[in-house]
Amino acid sequence: MAEADVQNLEDFLATQVLDPWKGPKKVPAEEYFTSGHRTCQGCESAQLMKLMAKAGGPRSIVLGATGCMYVANTTYYSTPWQIPWMHTQLGSTGSAATGTAAGLRALMRKGKMKKEPINVIAVCGDGGGVDMGLSAISAALQHTQYNLLILLYDNESYANTDIQVSGSSPYGANTTFSTPGKARRIMHRRWKKNTAAMLAAGHPECKYVATVCTAYPVEAMNSVRKALSIGGPTFIHSLDPCPKGWDYDPKYSHELGEIAVETGIWPLYEVEDGKLKMYGRSKRIVSGQFKRRPVREYLERQGRFAHFTDEDIEFFQAKTDEMWEKWLLPGVIPFAEA
Amino acid sequence: MSPAKATAVKRVEATGGPSGETEELISGSEAIAHVCRLADVDVITAYPIRPYDTVMQCVSQMISNGDFDCEFIVAESEHSQFEIVKHASAVGARVFCGSSGVGWFYAFEALAVTAGLRLPMVAMVGNRALDDPGAFGVEHNDALAVRDLGWMLAWVSTAQEALDTALIAYRVAEDPRVFLPCAISCDGAFLTHSQAIVNVPSQEMVDGFLPPYDRAEKQLHPDNPITIAPQANEDWLMEMRRQNDMAARRARDVIIEAYEDFGAKFGRGGEPFIERYMMEDAEVALVGMGTLAMPVKVAVRKMREQGKKVGFTRVRWFRPFPTQELQDALGGTKAVAVIDRDYSFGSTFYSGTLTNELRSALYPLESRPKIVSTIAGLGGREVTADNVIEIAGMAFDVAEGGDVSEEDTYWIGVRE
Amino acid sequence: MSTASVEVVYRGIFQKTMAKNICRGVVLAARKEGKIGIAFGRYSDSPERNGIPAKQFAVVSDSEEELEEHLSRYEPDNNDVTIVADDTLCKGVESWAWYGLQPINKLLGDGGTLVVTSTQSANKLIKTIHRKGSPYDLAIVKAAASFSGLWVYKDDHTDVRLLGALAKVAPHIVSLDSITKAISEQWKDESKVASAMKAYDMVESTPVGADQGSDAEPFSFSMPGWTKMEEGLVIRGIDQKPQEVPGWDGGYVPSRNPTFKKFSTRTMRPVINFDTCTKCTLCWLSCPDTCFDITPDGFYDANMEACCGCGVCEAVCPVAECVTMVNEEAFEDNDSQWEMWTKDTAGYAAWLTEKIADKPTRSHGFHHVGQYAEEIADESR
Repeated sequence: MAEADVQNLEDFLATQVLDPWKGPKKVPAEEYFTSGHRTCQGCESAQLMKLMAKAGGPRSIVLGATGCMYVANTTYYSTPWQIPWMHTQLGSTGSAATGTAAGLRALMRKGKMKKEPINVIAVCGDGGGVDMGLSAISAALQHTQYNLLILLYDNESYANTDIQVSGSSPYGANTTFSTPGKARRIMHRRWKKNTAAMLAAGHPECKYVATVCTAYPVEAMNSVRKALSIGGPTFIHSLDPCPKGWDYDPKYSHELGEIAVETGIWPLYEVEDGKLKMYGRSKRIVSGQFKRRPVREYLERQGRFAHFTDEDIEFFQAKTDEMWEKWLLPGVIPFAEA
Repeated sequence: MSPAKATAVKRVEATGGPSGETEELISGSEAIAHVCRLADVDVITAYPIRPYDTVMQCVSQMISNGDFDCEFIVAESEHSQFEIVKHASAVGARVFCGSSGVGWFYAFEALAVTAGLRLPMVAMVGNRALDDPGAFGVEHNDALAVRDLGWMLAWVSTAQEALDTALIAYRVAEDPRVFLPCAISCDGAFLTHSQAIVNVPSQEMVDGFLPPYDRAEKQLHPDNPITIAPQANEDWLMEMRRQNDMAARRARDVIIEAYEDFGAKFGRGGEPFIERYMMEDAEVALVGMGTLAMPVKVAVRKMREQGKKVGFTRVRWFRPFPTQELQDALGGTKAVAVIDRDYSFGSTFYSGTLTNELRSALYPLESRPKIVSTIAGLGGREVTADNVIEIAGMAFDVAEGGDVSEEDTYWIGVRE
Repeated sequence: MSTASVEVVYRGIFQKTMAKNICRGVVLAARKEGKIGIAFGRYSDSPERNGIPAKQFAVVSDSEEELEEHLSRYEPDNNDVTIVADDTLCKGVESWAWYGLQPINKLLGDGGTLVVTSTQSANKLIKTIHRKGSPYDLAIVKAAASFSGLWVYKDDHTDVRLLGALAKVAPHIVSLDSITKAISEQWKDESKVASAMKAYDMVESTPVGADQGSDAEPFSFSMPGWTKMEEGLVIRGIDQKPQEVPGWDGGYVPSRNPTFKKFSTRTMRPVINFDTCTKCTLCWLSCPDTCFDITPDGFYDANMEACCGCGVCEAVCPVAECVTMVNEEAFEDNDSQWEMWTKDTAGYAAWLTEKIADKPTRSHGFHHVGQYAEEIADESR
């Protein structure tokens, strides 16, 4: 009984095999997220949803926590989803993924539902993932018997509720809860949480944690495909430039993502089966083949930093330099050896 | 109507109930755990808090012993606990959950959306006082807090009733005419930590009563690519709330059907919604919920021996609220004394919630009984037969135009 | 008339501060005349999204009692003046707050005035505005749409110019004298007062007849009641089967949501040079609105029912001038560019050249620190 049970459990860990797409021209035509959403012009989070749906394919279920990708993206009779989607509460991304995966697994295991690997993807913004839902995401990453992906679309503020500061907002950013005033220029003094690395370090059984940026769509899709194929709970953190909250011309959505990576502000990496791999420009930054662009080129392009003085920019630069020059694992794990 | 006398002399048969049942000495929590097993529940989530956690201890043991198979997840908070089963329910899994006191409140957001989404979760509430000061004992404020949201709420008085009600709850909640969650309230300590003789039905009996959960066209699955709960504003909210209102209304008939079928198949179950105890000629009625029934019945018998025409009406279902049944049971009495094991500070005449609802239910009657509002047994304080006799005395007083006021609430068994 | 209302229709986020300035200006100016009023944004438009049409209102009354009936409404529906802060909104607006396309003059009362910032002629604008069925006036404030950001406001005086124009077309709401007093108090900047007065002098009104305007039927959506809606907050997803479009066999046109189209968000549209396109896929891959249809011959055709004009496709296209964003006012339909190109390659090339050449500058907001100051200096030169 015990052995059969173990075998049974193993069987139900099977996943879909989603091979990487080798280049943009190999990406298939089929879309599973189209139109109907009411997001901003140049919304990179909507773009991420499109890429994610494409990467996961038709045998997927998506759970969406409260945030822009719920309120702006999925409204009554205005759904953009071709695959099943369900709302979940702001702090419930981890729970939604766990519950959906557990429900499917129980039904298949007991013969109440046709047995097949179904992708379970739960998405949340930084409010849902970095702040309120962190505890449930951490729990979800511990339940290694469930195949699920938690995708954090980080636009660095509670952009949906009118742009309030979150634990993922960059230092000094102007938000409606940290508006610079006559007496205080910098209202938001917290440094952005290092969420992906924290989750990778804290959940050694989790087989896949990655950072992505929508400016690199093929890489982002392949990351999703790997996360869904590898088995067990997985986590991807995406930096999504937000024309509304960051205050920039929407046409620069793609470019600002690139600059975030090239300035070293957003490192791209995967932790796969316990092994860290930097990729893209970030890999070349670590190897010294690419010189990081000054953060000024990033900050001055966004209205949310328009109040920055040279001193603020220098501070931001110094903190970013620290990530790459002082950290134990550059761009990923802080603290130096004592 | 169940004859008062028959209920009064009811004895548990030593050999159990209908053939196929076995007799077990178990708590109300364990009785509900047996229902989880018999209903072949698919996903159960647990999080520790006294006193409801006894049900999860039993579930955990059943799984480890190989008596029961389900996805059993120990969540990292009550909020996650309820959210996990909510989502499992959406893909078509039968689910069970539960909590107590502030744990139930920690899950409050999930409780609201579970009803809003029409997901037929069955939960056990081991009724417990709210924090602070962290008393373990029973108060009904925890479960009552969800009374406006679409949750069906039952209060049971024995471990047997806990088992029977949990089976009925699955059948009603998962009926497509209803699709609403149901919470079964078990008074902390008296039902969660006290064992009694319970008839546990066989699998065949349960299978003959409880059909499989079929979410049909509402099931979240790649074969049925729907969007569930997209954001909506004032253009739609009234219509959505109205749908849920209708579901809550329909629940009434579905509950009646379920009790009829349960009675036919199991030979017990009693009247849906309320229990009438010596109510036939009662001039004064006591009203309460849960294990209060025990001292109340003792007191009623004592007073009957003295020739006092007093009876007891126990509210078994608070949602849907048994308005018609209570009108019928209490309409002929002169005075009603309600014993609330809860409070609603600052409410009408400072009454508890049961009193306020009951007063409202009886208002349309042409000849209304007078109502005495009392609060007793908070935080698990014992309510004695003598307390009940004191309360009944107040009802007789108000019926005779004495000093007791209808426009106040009396705290019973409290030190000055 | 004892109560008057002004509707300001604008581009979400980009013109939010400007719309607020206008509505507050109306109420504060009316106060100078002893009137009482309120300024508010339509609640369902909030939180606003970039470019998506939004509305704010000012309502002023002679007394508090008269104002009361407007204090708990979202959207006054019989406005004395509708201010349109961007002329591309004249094609109709589909916002957060309703389903379907609302003609820009729909909530304008009989005999009211539509005030539009535009560099176009009245005759050209009228052609794009839906026929109202009753006469009204069209007043034009000669100006390009002023788009700024949320955090950095482009103070190019468009707000006060519109207030000056309002005093001209609806003196019964506020007089120029009150407007200038209010502006002076609010901004303590006499150059803004001068701008308002100049706009008062310059604004030109044209009467629009009941039958004038576009006869296009705005798309609409009829909302079902609770007995027809699915219970459990369920709606059906979009069909996974692609659309079958005649002439598109072998291509891929995804099914799209019929109830929200988003194109009224567009202030610029991409025009595509299929002759230079290398089919690199980047526009298609990078579009957040999944608006590119794949043609049978492997090109990517921006579907104008789905495109909201963000401009990312232009930004990512590696071929010079293959994708060019052009002012939305240059177009009268949402037809497929690829179909036009396949039917008449030479004609399409000429059309493309003309569209790209006739490209009045449009901005999408913040580009870099100091930009607005530079732009304002350029404009005043």
